Amino acid sequence: MKGMLKGMGVTLKALTAPKVTTSYPDAPYLMPERYRGIQHFEPDLCIVCNQCARVCPTECITLTGKPNPDPDKKGKVIDTFDLNFEICILCDLCTEVCPTEAIVMTGNFELAAYSRDELYKDKDWLTNNDTRVRLDNNNIGAPQRGGKG
Amino acid sequence: MGSLLSSPMTWEHALAVFLWGVVLMLIVLGFVTYAIYFERKVIGWMQFRIGPNRVGPLGLLQSVADILKLLLKEDTIPRKADRMLFVLAPVLAFVPSFTVLAVIPYTQKLYFADLNVGLLYYVALSGISTLAIVLGGWASNNKYALLGGMRSAAQMISYEVPLVISVTGVVMLSGTLNLRGIVDSQSGGWFWDWNFIPQIVGFAVFVVAAVSELNRTPFDLPEAESELVAGYHVEYSGFRFAFFMLTEYVYVYAIAGLTTTLFLGGWHAPAPFLDFVPGIVWFALKFTFIVFFLFWLRATMPRIRVDQLMGLGWKVLLPLSLANVFITAACIELFQR
Repeated sequence: MKGMLKGMGVTLKALTAPKVTTSYPDAPYLMPERYRGIQHFEPDLCIVCNQCARVCPTECITLTGKPNPDPDKKGKVIDTFDLNFEICILCDLCTEVCPTEAIVMTGNFELAAYSRDELYKDKDWLTNNDTRVRLDNNNIGAPQRGGKG
Repeated sequence: MGSLLSSPMTWEHALAVFLWGVVLMLIVLGFVTYAIYFERKVIGWMQFRIGPNRVGPLGLLQSVADILKLLLKEDTIPRKADRMLFVLAPVLAFVPSFTVLAVIPYTQKLYFADLNVGLLYYVALSGISTLAIVLGGWASNNKYALLGGMRSAAQMISYEVPLVISVTGVVMLSGTLNLRGIVDSQSGGWFWDWNFIPQIVGFAVFVVAAVSELNRTPFDLPEAESELVAGYHVEYSGFRFAFFMLTEYVYVYAIAGLTTTLFLGGWHAPAPFLDFVPGIVWFALKFTFIVFFLFWLRATMPRIRVDQLMGLGWKVLLPLSLANVFITAACIELFQR
């Protein structure tokens, strides 16, 4: 009996307690700092080593490079970089192996689209997806070097 | 209404009575819609979340959307189900719940029927809904529905007995079964004249038995959503299911009205200096408190197991209510002669 009355008191107090639900989508839902969201691409840092395409478990990255337009510099620059988000599992392996941290994850996760065509993101879209970029990338591909601090 | 009932029944008077019935039906339907909404809101707030808030402003149209969904659903009847009984059960459950509302008095002048056996009428009719529940369970041709129906019938009969006996004390104190007479006998001006204090044991037994009669948590085993797969209304979809839900909430209205009338002084103010507030406001406040209490209880308590439930009904509530009758009789004999 006493337990019942105590229980009723608990629920009555809970009426005025702050609520734990969030109001997504009316308010944005901020993911934690190290969240593996949609990728962000920096074309200037990419050296077209193709490691990200090789390591990708679902083979969703396709990229092409072109010789450096500047005749003095060696190496390639990135020409096209496509990520197929139908099969990307946001596993972060492309970020881990990239020697220059050209591809990093962000905190965005809203990818829902009405057509499968919109899920095939190109270089420009990935470059412009630069909000809430993940700073602590578990970059084992280039432990000493890091593209961005 | 009293003048309307005692004057000769011409076509105009019959139409007026019919229209008053329609008004009550609309009020009760509005109550059911917003009782469902407030139940979800109150239970949500008590569980550290907000209830429905997306459909309409503040989620007020949530029940409307739910009822619309139920109306538009396919009306399935299982192939081997007893068709006539299957169709009859929801109707048979709902009709008594609405007819018992006729005896509940709202104020001195606002009442629908002035039956001298009003309380007996109420108790007798609410038993018919039990029959409809067993009918629904049987007609569904589903052993889980049948189990749910039988459990529900067992629960409702075993709690009907203490419910009626606990009210006998009130009847003895007021000397009448007429609900308006019972409210009049509580008119002392102060809240300690109301029946819940002299009849505290009867009140406690009544509250527990009423919650059980309504099939609400903690006694909601017949509709145990997570255990018996919705019990006796598992095969009902669409509008027929809506009828069972409507029955439950109309009974909430009826029981809250009855509790207010029998134990909480009906339309009387709790103190003489508050007399200027109209009686209907006091009735509404007490009614709202009882309905809130039912929601509060649902948010707090877990479900009682069926054997504990039967044990509680027969071994605790029945002796208590009988003892209440004897003690009330003894007190009346000793202190009022």
